[in-house]
Amino acid sequence: MVRDFAAWLETTGISVKVQSISWIIPVLQSLHILMIGIVFVSSLMITLRVVGGIRTDEPFATVWGRFAPWMWSGLVVMALSGLVLIIGEPVREFTAVSFWLKMSLLVISVTSIFVFGRTLRPETLTSATAEFSAGRKAAALATVFLWLAIIFLGRAIAYDAAVWGHLHS
Amino acid sequence: MTTPSIVTVVEGSAPAEWMRMSLLSMPVVEAIHVLTAAVVFGTILIVDLRLLGFPNTRRSITRIEHELLRYTWGAFIISVVTGILMFVANATTYYGNTAFRLKMLALLLAGVNMAVFELVTKRGVASWDKDVTPARAARFAGAASIVIWTAVIFIARWIAWTKGYSAGESIPENINFDFSTP
Repeated sequence: MVRDFAAWLETTGISVKVQSISWIIPVLQSLHILMIGIVFVSSLMITLRVVGGIRTDEPFATVWGRFAPWMWSGLVVMALSGLVLIIGEPVREFTAVSFWLKMSLLVISVTSIFVFGRTLRPETLTSATAEFSAGRKAAALATVFLWLAIIFLGRAIAYDAAVWGHLHS
Repeated sequence: MTTPSIVTVVEGSAPAEWMRMSLLSMPVVEAIHVLTAAVVFGTILIVDLRLLGFPNTRRSITRIEHELLRYTWGAFIISVVTGILMFVANATTYYGNTAFRLKMLALLLAGVNMAVFELVTKRGVASWDKDVTPARAARFAGAASIVIWTAVIFIARWIAWTKGYSAGESIPENINFDFSTP
């Protein structure tokens, strides 16, 4: 069914358009990688502040205010460039095990960062000395590992059959 | 074009053979290369933006640099190692690839820009370390760095589309960015 949808999407006007302009996919892939740099490093900076590894002289609110907007904006650009890449090569993406795993981890990661940001207590936000709970530190570190897995899976889409063997349809 | 013998020698080496024969070596090495390149770009961007006066802060530039140094260099070293592994696997092809040569040139430029900033511009850092907008030379270094590193990543992706052998990429027939044939 997914394969049918991908095959149909590939014949739509917008997909044909993307396929016909030869520079679109390489340019979007490059932009996608630049955004990985912005999103992953922003997330890493926030996590390092949570675990106490960086910018410990600043209250968490300052660090969050510095990096969270870049992280969210980067994610939007990443999602948009990713969407056009999917439209341009739907069969390659939708038949890849790595693609579906990547999307699942992405949902978990974005949801956890969103919840993390929404449930911060005021004192941890404004005080430079307030410590985060062990649970929050673990959650922040888990997000970084999720991003690592997402980045690996992103590259693995190009090698799906080699990476997943018989699981690759 | 003659290929120097060192290129063919590294292409015949054991690591090169492993890169070509193992099913997982290429995707894993490439993924680490993308990840570490992204970390290099992202951490340098933080310093570059600070040099350009963003965000509007008086936070010490040398302190920001110092905090990020280990992440930038750590990622850079891993990026170089994975890059060398990718190079040796198909050394002859990469050597003759114009996009690859342009990328090396851009990396060299990035190095020169950094060296000038560290060795010359930063001599006067004490007077602008905590300025929202630092000295003109420092702002220039920041802007140049953003442009050069962005170029490195774009050119790097271009190599995959021009290198002339297929390693995972399914290249559409209408794609032809072969810079070597005018």
